[in-house]
Amino acid sequence: MASNLSSPAAGSTTSSGRTAIGSIGRSYGGLAALLLLIAYNAVFNAGAFLTVSSLRINLTQVAEIAIVATAMTLVIATGGIDLSVGSLMAIAGSIAPLILLSSAAPWDVPFLGGALAYVIPILVVAAFGAANGFLVASLRIQPIIATLILFISGRGIAQVIAGGRLKSFDEPGWQVIGQGRVLGIPVQAIIMVVVVVTAAWVLKRTVFGRYVLATGGNEEAARLAGVPVVRVKYAVYIVSAMLAGLAGLISIAINSASDPANVGQDMELNAIAAVAVGGTSLLGGRATIVGTFIGALIIQLTGYTLLTEGLSDATVRIVTAGAILGAVLLQRRAR
Amino acid sequence: MMKVWTRRDVAKVGLGGVAAVAMGLRVPQIAGAQAPPLEQKDTYVIGYPQTDENNPWRIAQTNSVRSEIEARGWTVEYRNAQESTQQQLADVASLIAARVDAIFLPPREETPLAQAVLQAYQAGIPVFCLDRDVDQNIVQAGEEYVCFIGSDFYQEGARAAEWLARTTGGNAQIIELFGTTGATAAIDRSRGFVDYLAGTYTPANPESATAATPAPPASAFTGMTIIASQTGNFIRDEGRQVFETLYQANPGATAVYAHNDEMALGAIAALEAQGKVPGQDVIVVSVDGSRDALQAIIDGKLGATVECSPFFGPVACDTLVAYAAGEPVPTQIINTDRFFDASNAAEFIDSAY
Repeated sequence: MASNLSSPAAGSTTSSGRTAIGSIGRSYGGLAALLLLIAYNAVFNAGAFLTVSSLRINLTQVAEIAIVATAMTLVIATGGIDLSVGSLMAIAGSIAPLILLSSAAPWDVPFLGGALAYVIPILVVAAFGAANGFLVASLRIQPIIATLILFISGRGIAQVIAGGRLKSFDEPGWQVIGQGRVLGIPVQAIIMVVVVVTAAWVLKRTVFGRYVLATGGNEEAARLAGVPVVRVKYAVYIVSAMLAGLAGLISIAINSASDPANVGQDMELNAIAAVAVGGTSLLGGRATIVGTFIGALIIQLTGYTLLTEGLSDATVRIVTAGAILGAVLLQRRAR
Repeated sequence: MMKVWTRRDVAKVGLGGVAAVAMGLRVPQIAGAQAPPLEQKDTYVIGYPQTDENNPWRIAQTNSVRSEIEARGWTVEYRNAQESTQQQLADVASLIAARVDAIFLPPREETPLAQAVLQAYQAGIPVFCLDRDVDQNIVQAGEEYVCFIGSDFYQEGARAAEWLARTTGGNAQIIELFGTTGATAAIDRSRGFVDYLAGTYTPANPESATAATPAPPASAFTGMTIIASQTGNFIRDEGRQVFETLYQANPGATAVYAHNDEMALGAIAALEAQGKVPGQDVIVVSVDGSRDALQAIIDGKLGATVECSPFFGPVACDTLVAYAAGEPVPTQIINTDRFFDASNAAEFIDSAY
């Protein structure tokens, strides 16, 4: 990769400069919507909203979407899409309990079982991510179709792995990623911040980030300029799968149970909505991780607000859709 | 007796059914119909077209029915529709073609499967509906099919309310975690609970009342209020997130009524995450009687759960034998559901699913 550093980097300087300014502009709409939601709650719902516990709840609830949506942003930046994230969450979530509950484990070393219960599920879904990459990059199947295959089959695979049933477990040490706190901050919120900050840095400051944007901007030009488009695509689908797997593990850790039929249900849609609200172009080539994070917060806070107002689930869905539309329109005007 | 069932006839009946539903009327399909008789035999071939195998309750039901049939030396023709109504219709058609002696049908949807019941009736095969009923505008128990066997969801709600009222001394601020919107189980579990607290509960099926049926309350429980009610779709994770938010907005809540154990376990996880002690700060009651729930009762986290028994095998087979012998069979057979709380959870956990 290093050998290719100079040419594409030089070629994309102007576009990435524009992207930096543009991303601020595109984030305005989302940011305005988010501030509006916060202001509404602070005024009309102060007793419940302006508390530490509400901050904590919103952070724990948004973590899974934010983590998945961050990786989704990278995929979308290459001009792709990953519909399989929800199913991959279920697959990772169905493998971990097998390891945690295995009594025939051939090891006695403390922490090893727990560590394997993190590592193996994420490696397995990474392999599925590579399969997505193979379909998209090597076979050149349209990403929406390529990942639809795993979207459909993945939940079935998870159910087969889990023997078709919900598995509950009680491993407080392992479940720290869903239930633990450091200095009062939920661990999954810390993981989320690390993921978001790292991805934002990678996209803005690294060669790989420029490759991602160049691939989505004009694939042919990028390839001719020496960008390893195929490898870049493999990489983003693998990252997407691994972060989905991580989110799946967080989900089962909070609930002390893995329900292969429901872990990560609708996650692909929520993640894509967060990316769209955040201002990333679904055509690729332009992306903002911070925008996506704001988008995830908007979706989370809209649901929270409506629920505390006592509205029905049906209303929540309709209003959330309206909020997404509103945020996208605001974001277009800002541009 | 047997009629060749053409596609046009099916369409006609289908349209008739739709029109009847629209007008709220029952179309008398076959005047004075009687469920097909069943010959008394030593062994039967039973068609069992299951809806899916996706959750512990379903799996427990399948195991109960299959093992009971096999224990009696009968044969089971098992099908799994994998959550597809179309597939279940095809499964019933294939069982009719295979000329099974009788069908144990857990209908996935009440209107489409009523057509399947009608086809079995036309082919002279008696059907026993398990755990859900079929559309009474199209077919009726005792006429086109033998009977419905299942739980009384309305009564389950009332039993949960009865326990909660007794345990809290009639004073509670309740958050209700609703099942899937539109599901019969959710609607009836809510109605039974609300009606009992309002003092208007009366058993829905007096003739099939069991020892478990709560007596109508003397008066309304004015100290018990449902302060928030929201769907958690019968899912643990959704129950947890919804409860977390509702409890945060209504910190005065003292009790949770969840329409199933999974959502109750979600609420318990949320309470623990907020440093509350479930069972003390907030009392939780639910419906289902799963193994996880019984463990939570033993741990003092869950107050009680009303069983919604998945163990259909014995009652279904006994009813079939009685029907073959020509004995009168009630059109509605309500399972005797147990009630689990701290007094008996440890005793029954091994028999829970």
